[in-house]
Amino acid sequence: MLRPRIAAPQDFAGGLFLIAIGLGALWASSGLGMGTLRAMGPGMLPKSLAVMVAGLGVLLLLTSLRVEGPALDRWSLRGLIFVLLGACLFALTIRGSDLPFGFTLPAIGLIAAGPLVAIVSAFASPETKWGEVLLFAAFMTALCAGIFKYALGLPIPLAPWLLGY
Amino acid sequence: MTNLSRRTMLGAVAVAASLGFAGAAQAQAYPNKPITMFVAFAAGGPTDVIARIVSEHMSKTLGQQIIIENVAGAGGTTTTARVAAAAPDGYTLIMGQMGTHAAAPALYPNLKYNPVTDFTPIGIAGITPIVIVTKKDFPANNLREFVAYLKANPDKVNQAHAGVGSTAFTTCVLLKAQIGVPKLNAVAYRGTGPALNDLVGGQVDFMCDQVTNLTPQILAGNIKAMGIATPARLPVLPNVPTTAEGGLPEYQISGWNGIFGPKGLPKDIQDKLVDALNKALEDPTTNKRLADLGTVIPNAQERAPAGMAAVLARDIALLDKPLRDSGAVGQ
Amino acid sequence: MDLFSNLALGFGVALSLKNLALCFTGCFIGTLIGVLPGVGPIATIAMLLPITFGIDPVGALIMLAGIYYGAQYGGSTTAILVNIPGEATSVVTTLDGHQMAKQGRAGVALGISAIGSFIAGSVATVLIAALGAPLTRMALLFGPAEYFSLMVMGLCFAVVLARGSILKAIAMILLGLLFSTIGTDLETGQERMTFGFAPLSDGLDFAVLAMGIFGFAEVIKNLENPETRDVVRQKVGRLLPNLAEMKQSAMPIVRGTFLGSALGILPGNGAVLGPFASYTLEKKLAKDSSRFGRGAIEGVAGPESANNAGAQTSFIPLLTLGIPPNAVMALMVGAMTIHGVIPGPQVMTKNPQLFWGMIASMWIGNLMLLIINLPLIGLWVKLLKVPYRLMFPAILLFCCIGIYSINNSPVDVAMTAFFGLFGYALIKFGFEPAPLLLGYVLGRLLEEKMRQALIISRGSFMTFVERPISAGLLVVAVIVLVVALLPSIQKKRDVVFTE
Repeated sequence: MLRPRIAAPQDFAGGLFLIAIGLGALWASSGLGMGTLRAMGPGMLPKSLAVMVAGLGVLLLLTSLRVEGPALDRWSLRGLIFVLLGACLFALTIRGSDLPFGFTLPAIGLIAAGPLVAIVSAFASPETKWGEVLLFAAFMTALCAGIFKYALGLPIPLAPWLLGY
Repeated sequence: MTNLSRRTMLGAVAVAASLGFAGAAQAQAYPNKPITMFVAFAAGGPTDVIARIVSEHMSKTLGQQIIIENVAGAGGTTTTARVAAAAPDGYTLIMGQMGTHAAAPALYPNLKYNPVTDFTPIGIAGITPIVIVTKKDFPANNLREFVAYLKANPDKVNQAHAGVGSTAFTTCVLLKAQIGVPKLNAVAYRGTGPALNDLVGGQVDFMCDQVTNLTPQILAGNIKAMGIATPARLPVLPNVPTTAEGGLPEYQISGWNGIFGPKGLPKDIQDKLVDALNKALEDPTTNKRLADLGTVIPNAQERAPAGMAAVLARDIALLDKPLRDSGAVGQ
Repeated sequence: MDLFSNLALGFGVALSLKNLALCFTGCFIGTLIGVLPGVGPIATIAMLLPITFGIDPVGALIMLAGIYYGAQYGGSTTAILVNIPGEATSVVTTLDGHQMAKQGRAGVALGISAIGSFIAGSVATVLIAALGAPLTRMALLFGPAEYFSLMVMGLCFAVVLARGSILKAIAMILLGLLFSTIGTDLETGQERMTFGFAPLSDGLDFAVLAMGIFGFAEVIKNLENPETRDVVRQKVGRLLPNLAEMKQSAMPIVRGTFLGSALGILPGNGAVLGPFASYTLEKKLAKDSSRFGRGAIEGVAGPESANNAGAQTSFIPLLTLGIPPNAVMALMVGAMTIHGVIPGPQVMTKNPQLFWGMIASMWIGNLMLLIINLPLIGLWVKLLKVPYRLMFPAILLFCCIGIYSINNSPVDVAMTAFFGLFGYALIKFGFEPAPLLLGYVLGRLLEEKMRQALIISRGSFMTFVERPISAGLLVVAVIVLVVALLPSIQKKRDVVFTE
């Protein structure tokens, strides 16, 4: 860590974060024309905003060198990984998907993808009791199927491998 | 995206993630499970409404539910491409329209489908004529004066449209090209509603759009109709002259919605769908619902595959050059 | 004179047993979908449209309208309970509503939001009935230039929303604006910052962004500090606000109602500005503005009233002019046309039962919502007692299904996960997500209207100051900004408390 000289490490990191986003956006919008005021091009606003975001990042960075501020928080990787992994698995399996290198994931539908989210994300908490989670996952999935599929009639695949929809 | 329908021998509800047995081939006659009809636009829009009305009756004929799935994106081209690549088993259809099929090739250089060769046409479900309208206090009172005014004051006039690729956009590009003022100031709005709002409020001068959206405002005198781009006047707007009457006979265009399947759809499935569509359009209730929308019911020829293919070919030919010249591009 | 006979006609229609039942069904479904994350009124109304084919148009529209304002009502529930704004309009409610819940005042927050919404809904209904037509004519004066200035004013409100550093708040607003430019450019059809990724071509969905940076990021944050989240289930106080709290909320409700009603009438999506404007106003009027963001009841009462008032008055352009101001209203147009009612200026005279019946049903619907929601408060508060180790997988599951169902798109769920990561980074760097969401919500309109105005004015920026309404709005924006910035220029940057 760069602790000794930076008065507000959190803001320092925040500043870097903004600069990175600003530069990233500038790069992403580089191919867009600015146009004129009379006929503004598609790039006018994204580019100006990207510059402004990066500019504020620089400002934040500079103030963080002088003005005292909070320290940088630790990141809890366990929560981050399992919560997001749960959501991504849901995305990949609800309707099935093709992965790189010729792998495919089957369409398992809500009946299986629902418990999958609940169970994978439950790894994120040290307090998880597995018996409880399994029961609860089954119950919540049934409830969601009832609400979303039957009560609201949304076209969510329930169990394509079992019911055909 | 694989849309596998697999029957598993296991009756138990599986908790594990990756089950899936390739089941016995389904030998029963088409259709033996619900059919998905994609609408490449948000729910509640003109395409969606027509799809819902027509599919409701078609479900009865086919004996299987038709599920409407709205997946909007990139002027409808994302979903259209998805259907083009789907299995031609009759369980994946799309309610296409002028934008996704006739205009898209000229607007999207990287289009992932060919609207003519990548689809099996079923038939047109509804036709929506195009009207040219101006704000209430626009100096011109008929199509001749309107054309003259546009030619004389190309730098004063503002045209509204509902976004690149929308029917209001496409049909007006054609109009401007035919009048000879292709570079006229165009103001883009997100959808017909906001564009119409500013036309009624007098913030912009004119627009072209489907009669469905405009009729109430024309009848209330909030906007003025210059001409309707059909061969004959419409019963809902008997006082609005046709473009031919107004001295612009070459401006003939209508929005349309039609059902397509992926290419290679077996003949018997295509026939079943054509038959179901025909029955839906002949059903008095469905027919009336569509007519109430301001939609013109397609004639026997147009609602057949060959008829729709002809309409599609005609519109592609008509729109291609003006759209390419307009410089608008999607990606 | 006419108003009373018209209202009598309306109530006659709305009070029939069948229409009462439909109104109740609509309000109930609306409350349900408002509470469910992701699933919004648009998807639901679209799905229920075919079911209403069998009902007469008046009944069908009464039910569909009930779904819409019921959802606005229900949207605040998740904002208060789990800090997830279900709708753009309930972003503000997370600020103080969730803080109240953490202090064991969830019942009070939900109660005041229900009561405020009811009062606002009632007033707005009267407003529609009495002044609908003249108000429409006024709204038509709002062209692109006026709208742009209004959005600028809204962005200045966002600065006031900030709890901590103004610099960071402005950075978040700009970032929100930047995000709003992702997707196909309206004027040229070119794709912007989509990296060739097709699901981005229509831009980011509000729900994806909100569920990511509020829902997912919040869950991850709560998992790492068990102490702070346990406060939620520590003790649950009263279920309803007491007299002192009612008194405290009275004026904010009145002001919120007025602001929300006025902004709701505007074409486009003026209603989203209502809660933000109300929050800004209350924070500025409060004797001790530092309470805001730490569970101030005015910060819930005002915005919630504004939200519901706006939801009602946004029917005005649809009913009197037949032009839908936003996506939900566009769907209502679809519903009307399917039922053979062509929406337009003629509806009022041609279908008086429909017009006045709908207006009367709105008031009845608001009463029903109060009756549905007050007893539910007990249930919601009990839900808070579910241990967090079970609550968070449930929240995630609901979020995933909800987001999937917006567009039937699994990619949206994955993108939400990405924004969960992004939101978590924001929390770690001490940024607040609320100004970002406001910037995002207003960004599209801001750019659209600016470019429309400049095309019409042939590139002259003078159009924004030459037009009186636009100039007036800009003056207000400058005043709001100066008032917001002055104190922070004087005192040094204060330490940011994130919870």
